[in-house]
Amino acid sequence: MKKVLCSVGTYRHCGVARALLVIGFLAFLGGSKPATAADDAITIGIVMPTTGREAKPGQYQKEGVELAIKQLNDQGGIFVREKGKKLPIKEIFYDNGSDSAKAAALVERVMSSDHVTAVIGGYSTALAEAESVMPDRYQTPWLTGGAAATSIYSRGYKYIFGCLSPIALLGSTTAEFLGGLVDQGKLKKGLKVALVVENTDHGVDYVNGVQDWISKHSGYFTVVLSEKFELGGTDFSGLLQKVKTAKADIFLSDAHLQDYITMQRQYLQAGLHHQVISYGARGPEADARKALGAGTDYILAALWWSDKLPYPQVQKFVADYKAMFNRGPDSWYAATAYDAMRILAQSIEAAGSTNGSKIRDALAKAQLKEALIPGGVLKFGSNGQAGYPFLVTQNQPGDKVEIVYPKDAATGSAVAPIP
Amino acid sequence: MTASDYLDLFIKALLLAGIYAAMAVGMTVIYGVMKIVNLAHAGFLMLGAYFAYELYERFHIDPVLGAVLALPAFFLFGIGVHAVLIRWLPKSDTPTLASLLLMFGFWLVLQNLGYLIWGNEESSILMPRTFASLHIGEITIPKVSLIVFGAAVISLIVLQIIFNRSWFGRAMRSLIQNPYAAQIVGVDDRRTSRLSFGLGTAFAGFAGALLSMLYSFNPDFGRPFLLRSFVIIVLGGLESVSGVALGAVVLALLETFSVQVLPASYQPAISFALLVLVLLVMPKGIAGLLQRKRRVA
Repeated sequence: MKKVLCSVGTYRHCGVARALLVIGFLAFLGGSKPATAADDAITIGIVMPTTGREAKPGQYQKEGVELAIKQLNDQGGIFVREKGKKLPIKEIFYDNGSDSAKAAALVERVMSSDHVTAVIGGYSTALAEAESVMPDRYQTPWLTGGAAATSIYSRGYKYIFGCLSPIALLGSTTAEFLGGLVDQGKLKKGLKVALVVENTDHGVDYVNGVQDWISKHSGYFTVVLSEKFELGGTDFSGLLQKVKTAKADIFLSDAHLQDYITMQRQYLQAGLHHQVISYGARGPEADARKALGAGTDYILAALWWSDKLPYPQVQKFVADYKAMFNRGPDSWYAATAYDAMRILAQSIEAAGSTNGSKIRDALAKAQLKEALIPGGVLKFGSNGQAGYPFLVTQNQPGDKVEIVYPKDAATGSAVAPIP
Repeated sequence: MTASDYLDLFIKALLLAGIYAAMAVGMTVIYGVMKIVNLAHAGFLMLGAYFAYELYERFHIDPVLGAVLALPAFFLFGIGVHAVLIRWLPKSDTPTLASLLLMFGFWLVLQNLGYLIWGNEESSILMPRTFASLHIGEITIPKVSLIVFGAAVISLIVLQIIFNRSWFGRAMRSLIQNPYAAQIVGVDDRRTSRLSFGLGTAFAGFAGALLSMLYSFNPDFGRPFLLRSFVIIVLGGLESVSGVALGAVVLALLETFSVQVLPASYQPAISFALLVLVLLVMPKGIAGLLQRKRRVA
């Protein structure tokens, strides 16, 4: 390095450049903490994006896991039968910077060098896909409360577990809800739908879910445009012009938080208007409402969780979360990560061991009762992914978010078509 | 699509070109004079956005005025960065690995400083004009994009005037054309480099402040713009202000109209295919090609 930096010409302070590079490189690695697995504790690796494109949801997921760890440690930790005692949980956290390659490398590091008992990571789909190749290699269970694309769970891996219902179900639930609005007479039959989704497996699954429902329920909707866009886009004007030209009645997108904010801003600036707007699982996030104000009103979102679910455990979680972080949980991110940590703890206790294979077997059979998710029970299918119904929420004027589907959990009724 | 749809799209492409030109021009100035590919440009854009944001949040200063105030503030910041870091780099006619790594490292430091100060919140400036649009028949023109376009055009004109009419501009041009001959005729290359870096940083801060009206941002802001800035300055010719304008227009037109016939997910691929094509076919960019044609004529 010295040769490279100092060989061209003569200059006195090439050390400045070197020092800066070292600082930058360390910063790039992302706040790593030297720690290794210890016999007197259960070490859990957390690999999440707390910087970069996915920083905010990643931070919420991290907070959800940390709340669960705190509560478990407050009770003395997890009882491990083969040790004959309760062991506290120690967290080893790495920020993957919203970078897929870094996410995979950090999961490998936390499994191979830090020798953790299990890893919680995988927000979002793109990062989870990169991470998901590691758990089977190191026979270390990996759980995610933030990745739902079916492709992740269809590769035959045995050590990966997802606490989110599949995206295809998100798409079909959205379509089913809209179909219900047709049945109620709020929307007309035969409306035209524009589908604009991110170019990831997440987006592909969403389209499949919507189209699957539409093909099984003829006459309700017609898809007149189906387009993909690149993650982290800065200009959607051409794409939105296509939407305008398609003369659709319903605008369904599947986007992550940053793209949702950028696209909705440009949507409003372009003066577009549809009878229904949805951005998949995005909608009620505080950052979006701050950035767009009333511009997010009436947006529908199909979510894995809402703080308005009428379960006592949900209200307790919200209160505990507020007490720990001085603010309420923003959208669903923290809740599913919290459940991921709880089902992991339950499985470690059931396995009676910190052995990865035994915990994996316990996870495969686990049922977390009093889970936060709709239905209140979290368990994994044979592919390692959970499957439970979605909620549909709608942002309404005055910063309100109402659950509008399913009926038994509804806190308000949907406003459709958008005025 | 109707004729008015095409016109609408053309106007949107021009507005986008304004955004692209604003963000790329600072990088061009620095490259032209110092042959430094300023990877920290994205960090300067990010700081510019937060500069406007803080002025708006704390003192209710309009981001347009914030962008104007960013010019002197970031000029001084650039001079400071030059004094602390850049002046120690070896002189070279071509970009060096040392300068690339230094600027990349500095970008990462700026990013992490951003996370320390502002956290990972998505910040944004929401004003009454954020969603306001002008409607001319079926054509819709977002007001903020129009303001950014106007500011970009003015900044390019001012920069062109500085380049052509001032002593400093002539010194910059002489260094761009032939640094050795420039020094022989008395151009103070150290001083000119320092001022050029300050000027490039000033325009990056200015662009960042303007972009804060269009996008939400966090300390990672600027990354996608950095890649497009590369495409624009390579397309326009690495050392020319008018080339930047031309490059921005070509890229914006291509990106906007290609989406009408190709899937939108190909948009980044189109930009980078264009970059490769330009490097292969006309390495001096459109400006170089026009110059060659003028010489032949």
